[in-house]
Amino acid sequence: MNVLRTSVHLLPATRLPRHAIQRAYATTARPFVPPAQLRDLDNPGPRRGDRQGGDREPRQRVKPPPESPSFYTSRPVYYDQIIQLEKAIGQVRGSLKTLQLLPLPAFARASLPPLHPVWKTQDEMTLDFETKMTTTRYRKVTKLLSQLNEYNRIARTAGCTELADGIDSIVSMFESGKKDAFLARGKRKVVILDEFGRSYTVGRRKTSSARVWMIPVRQEKKESPKAVAVEEELNMEELFGVERAAEPETVKMEQVKVTTSTILVNNLPLNEYFSVPADRERATRPFKVAGVLGAYNVFAIVRGGGTTGQSDALLQGIAKGLVAHEPELTTMFRRAKLTRRDPRMVERKKTGLAKARKRYTWVKR
Amino acid sequence: MAVTNLTEPIFQSETRNSTLILSKFTPENITKKNIGLAAEFSLPENDPVRIFGLPKKMLLEFRILSKPCSVVRGVTVETKELLDNAKERSSLDMRVVLTGRSGCGKSYLLLQAVEYCKQNGWIVLYIPRATNLVNSTTPYVYDLRTQIYSQPTFAYQTLQRMLTVNRPTLDALELQTALVLEKQTVPAGTTLSALINIALKDKSKASCMVILETLLKELSEQTKYPVLVAVDEFQALYNKTMYRDPHFNTIAPYHLSMPRLLMEYASGRRSFAKGAFLGAVNDSDPMYPMPLELRDALQIEYMRPMSPYDKRSAGIAEYTKGLRALSVPEKLTLAEATSLFEIWMKDRALATVNPDTTFLSKYVESGGNPRDFVWKGILSTIEA
Repeated sequence: MNVLRTSVHLLPATRLPRHAIQRAYATTARPFVPPAQLRDLDNPGPRRGDRQGGDREPRQRVKPPPESPSFYTSRPVYYDQIIQLEKAIGQVRGSLKTLQLLPLPAFARASLPPLHPVWKTQDEMTLDFETKMTTTRYRKVTKLLSQLNEYNRIARTAGCTELADGIDSIVSMFESGKKDAFLARGKRKVVILDEFGRSYTVGRRKTSSARVWMIPVRQEKKESPKAVAVEEELNMEELFGVERAAEPETVKMEQVKVTTSTILVNNLPLNEYFSVPADRERATRPFKVAGVLGAYNVFAIVRGGGTTGQSDALLQGIAKGLVAHEPELTTMFRRAKLTRRDPRMVERKKTGLAKARKRYTWVKR
Repeated sequence: MAVTNLTEPIFQSETRNSTLILSKFTPENITKKNIGLAAEFSLPENDPVRIFGLPKKMLLEFRILSKPCSVVRGVTVETKELLDNAKERSSLDMRVVLTGRSGCGKSYLLLQAVEYCKQNGWIVLYIPRATNLVNSTTPYVYDLRTQIYSQPTFAYQTLQRMLTVNRPTLDALELQTALVLEKQTVPAGTTLSALINIALKDKSKASCMVILETLLKELSEQTKYPVLVAVDEFQALYNKTMYRDPHFNTIAPYHLSMPRLLMEYASGRRSFAKGAFLGAVNDSDPMYPMPLELRDALQIEYMRPMSPYDKRSAGIAEYTKGLRALSVPEKLTLAEATSLFEIWMKDRALATVNPDTTFLSKYVESGGNPRDFVWKGILSTIEA
């Protein structure tokens, strides 16, 4: 800026008006040089505390070159990353072309399995790139990343695991930590059994909720000693090559060990908690539909609402628990509407009406 | 159309043969092997059930069923063994109260014990509804001699019933000492049935209480036949009665003759030389709940935290000494439940496509509780 001003002064006087030549605020004819510029860094003067004087060797300082060419830019990290991504894209494109995977015909591209990326948010990238990620910059970055993602899809489908892993290593740096949660949004949470084989599910109806823990009833297995003895006999016969006379087949009636389910609701047996038979039947309905009446023990904590709401919530909780133990029942229960949360709630009262729908008595006059 | 005009065979339900064919309830059938056996009560003319009556809920159930029957349970066999031991011993050692959750089968077990004893030749006194002794339904009059309120009508009915039920055994027993009454003296050597007839002939029923007491005294001294006193709704005897004295104060149960008599045999103040006392509690009637004194004596858990400062009647607590609790299991075993289900199936109570599923679902829903299994399960179901 000062350079500009001095150049004004150096121009021929005839060209400029008189007040421009000699300005009140103009300081000197000499250009202003900051004192720091006058310091000779290679040959500094004697240090203040230094009394000895004498010759000192001039300090040899070699300025190290910056790590990256974008060091002197205002956003070095950002530009570096852009360059890296573009390089990566270039390399991958080259590799895919070599493998004759690019250009991909339309039908092949359409048949690729989906690979939904979930990139970091603008704020997260701001921290990563050490610069404010405006929309333009964010879009630029995500465009490059999406391109890489496309190549990843192609590489993975084609079976180029090395290439795909390489792309993954780059892309994973920019993927959001909430990717799984985002992709699983709207889907039913998968219920996992704990170390004892118990499932924990929740059922709801109106304002009632039921927390249900289910565990399979332990089946005692008994091996009949008779079967073992018969097998041994057979082996002996075969060893000696003696032919056995055809024996009449006896139908053995197997003793089926019947187990029963125990259902505890708020630590009380089902018949003590629900006195109405209809409520009790609702609790066992999922078992009847699935055909597993004596197979599971249930412990539930129900809260809120009234008896019917609580029994319906318990029904849903038990149904979800059964699906957790036996995933093959999913479709059957969905069709029987057992796992469905009944969306019906108490309708609000409206102004001008006595209740939700009930109107006041109509008066002619 | 009048009922008599309905002559079509479809309307003749009472004469139609029942499809319910069961074994008989005999002492030989009560064994460990037979646990789960459905047994029919053969009710001859002098059966305790016909003469003494039944608790309300059991009466209703027997009306619905085509035949009165029950299932031999594990606890039945246990009770049978207890009674067999008690046959030769004093009733002091065998004063048992059947306890358990509501609907677990106490009254049924008591009935099975009564039937077993009757068929084994015991002398039986069965009181199916002890609440009728304390709810002011039977007349009472103050007796100067004993200084308590006597209940002559109930005494009269009890004597009548005891005679009908136990006539052969009472004919064989005789009065040991002469009895002096107001109008006559009954000499020693009279048969006990003749003694009872004296009371029954008296229209004023004044001497009934005395004769009942004498009868029981004779029965407690004799050793030929063991005696069973069975009381259902036993806890009503230990609650406040509905009776009022002339000053409108509540009369305590031990100031009424019949409850006092039963409580004395229960507490061991009087005892039979050979015999037993069996009681069964009932929690169907909130007017006569389980009192604190009985809970203490039988060591039954409290419904809410209890402290030593809660009111307990010392007089009533005296009559709870020495009572033993026999806990009836709250759940039916699968074998017993299966048997019970089959009784109702054969009696056409259910029209089900899949009896196995229905059975197991009702068992799970009722949690094995017998009353809930039958009444809220089998009889109240709306499912196929």
